[in-house]
Amino acid sequence: MNSLVSRFSTTGPIAELRKAKEVLGDDDEFSDAVWGSEAGFGSLANGVPKFSIPQVPDPSAFLRLHTDDHSDPSCRIKIKHGTTTLAFRFQGGVIVAVDSRASAGSYVASGTVKKVIEINPYLLGTMAGGAADCQYWETYLGIQCRLHELRNRERISVAAASKYLSNLVYSYKGMGLSMGTMICGWDKTGPAVFYVDSDGTRLKGDLFSVGSGSTFAYGVLDQGYRWDLTDEEAQELGRRSIYAAGHRDAYSGNTINLYHVKEDGWKFIGNYDVSKMHYEGPNGVGYGYDIRTEGRSSANPPATQ
Amino acid sequence: MPDGSFSHPQQRSFNPYTENGGTILAIAGADFTVIAGDTRQSEGYSIQTRYAPKVFRLTDRAVLAVNGFAADGNMFVKKVKQRLEWYRHAHAKDMPLRAIARLIQTMLYAQRFFPYYVYNILGGIEEDGTGAVYSFDPVGSYEREACRAAGAAQSLVQPFLDNQIYFKNQQAAPGQSHPLHLPLSDVLSIVIDSFTSATERHIEVGDGLEMYVVLAKGRSAQGLEGGRGVQELTTRTDGDRVFVIRRELKKD
Amino acid sequence: MSIMEYNGGSVIAMVGKDCVAIASDLRLGVQSLSISSNFQKIFPVTDRIYVGLPGLASDVTTLHEQFRYRVNMYTIKEEREIEPQTFAQMVSSTLYERRFGPYFIEPVIAGMQRTPSGSYEPFIAATDLIGCLNFAKDFVVAGTASSELFGAAEGLWEPDLEAEDLFETISQTLLNAVDRDTFSGWGAVVHVMTKDKVITRTLKGRMD
Repeated sequence: MNSLVSRFSTTGPIAELRKAKEVLGDDDEFSDAVWGSEAGFGSLANGVPKFSIPQVPDPSAFLRLHTDDHSDPSCRIKIKHGTTTLAFRFQGGVIVAVDSRASAGSYVASGTVKKVIEINPYLLGTMAGGAADCQYWETYLGIQCRLHELRNRERISVAAASKYLSNLVYSYKGMGLSMGTMICGWDKTGPAVFYVDSDGTRLKGDLFSVGSGSTFAYGVLDQGYRWDLTDEEAQELGRRSIYAAGHRDAYSGNTINLYHVKEDGWKFIGNYDVSKMHYEGPNGVGYGYDIRTEGRSSANPPATQ
Repeated sequence: MPDGSFSHPQQRSFNPYTENGGTILAIAGADFTVIAGDTRQSEGYSIQTRYAPKVFRLTDRAVLAVNGFAADGNMFVKKVKQRLEWYRHAHAKDMPLRAIARLIQTMLYAQRFFPYYVYNILGGIEEDGTGAVYSFDPVGSYEREACRAAGAAQSLVQPFLDNQIYFKNQQAAPGQSHPLHLPLSDVLSIVIDSFTSATERHIEVGDGLEMYVVLAKGRSAQGLEGGRGVQELTTRTDGDRVFVIRRELKKD
Repeated sequence: MSIMEYNGGSVIAMVGKDCVAIASDLRLGVQSLSISSNFQKIFPVTDRIYVGLPGLASDVTTLHEQFRYRVNMYTIKEEREIEPQTFAQMVSSTLYERRFGPYFIEPVIAGMQRTPSGSYEPFIAATDLIGCLNFAKDFVVAGTASSELFGAAEGLWEPDLEAEDLFETISQTLLNAVDRDTFSGWGAVVHVMTKDKVITRTLKGRMD
């Protein structure tokens, strides 16, 4: 939706475009969509993508009534919500770890959601909140990053990329978008993590966790975090933190997806099943099982005699 | 009910959505995909019709199943078919499956602030000849999966599919591993059993079952051709083929 | 949020050939936070009757104690053990006494009923939270994962399963159903009752 300013203003790029169209007479009979050349993200020359809204006095209230299951769990349109994600930067780059559960109310809609969005080979975005909002706008961000590269002949910085996203969602502020994402990459200033959300917040930081299970992840992350972690220690910390959230939070779980962003781009480390981590761990020692059952039964006697 | 009287506060509301029940599911095989849906359309405790198809053929290799609010579903299918036709005229070929999936995302997201109340499942054959299933939420988030159930009885059918297709909570015999893909006959039996189970325990599911089978180019159609209730929708035997299998479900 | 979903948990009972099985998950949570992976929801009433109590945890404890009291009084007065059918009626009336301020529990009862000829036949029943009885011949389900349990059980159950096969069937049904529910899981326990013994097994389930 164009904000009121762009719809009614008489100065600025959108107004110029509107005047030009009136003068030249836009050929509306055959829009770009007919030729298949209007990509679904909208022809970017026309400015921010337009969205249709219902003809009711309060469109945001209408949307909230029908889709927002935070205030009304019995709403009809259950939008899948994403949950525990984390990213932190350290001497070896950025570690990004996410779970893969999407819940719609109390139902586990999917256990294989990809909550890390690969914007381009050196930028990653995480997904928390509304899955569609994150997927759609982070794809749009990928388009903007590529255009930046073409216009400026150099890679976009993480600060600029996150600002594109944050300014975009700010123009929809109050309309009902739900997004809590971390844009992670390695640029000229080194490894960088920016937290961006649909309220318009944009924060640079060393360590973030977003989602319903973030409190559990912070518990493990804060206790284990140092700048001088080795690559293995950092990956283990990310994995262990998401495991903690997946274990305790009902809305997080299924599998852990682990990424490592280095100077030359991101690398997918692996996909780990949360339950398997509990019983067997990544190296045979379970994160949760052994410590709780050791020495408690005759089959598993205490170590000390 | 707002009636214009002054005795109590009044408010008008715009409630354009309703739920029409039904269930859809899709399972991807190694070189085929099955997309099925029941044919009952209901509203509350009434059955509107016993035959309202929810699964539609888009191209020779793509089939779309829609479920939720039937009016939005039917209109959405119409719009998708129109975009595919424009693409065919502009590019002289059918749109590949993963491009159709991305198209559906952008079409759904265009209505982000007045959503289509539809749960879509797109099934078909990818460009590399493998079976694929893409499932969507009403505002466009999507994922490629091996199997997905959606609709009124999704919470009944999906756990059964997890157990039978993905072999979840089952340990393979020592030295062996679970098959990655199941043969077509097994998949069809699992689909039919899922729907008969859902019909037993959910009031909005029943009347009839339509299963679309999309076969990759070169895969033999043995077992399908000439079967009971089977109809072929494609005309050529040298490309991807689409078959429909119709079965009855309990009508109570 | 619904009161029935506050603590989470699910129970299922199934009939086999001269045997019954009753199973539940072991989770106790406070909305999204999982607290315990050891919360018992199925209690033995007599040697031959087990009752499963999914729902609000506080009422699980209260109802368990209430039934213990009433069954003990019955045993003292009648000078014999209570039968499953009678116990089911007792559950129904106990719940209906609180018709306008109910216990937030949907009990599931499983047992071996004595027949006039002296042998035992399998018995299951379930009630809603105000005591409406359902005497099913195949299986009964209750709890936050009830829809999932219905679908999985309907797909996997068949009549006349032997005790070992019934154990496998009820276990697969329960594990796969609770994996699709956010408020159930964290382990499972299964009791399989035949005419002369009860075998209790604890299952390793998904811990997320």
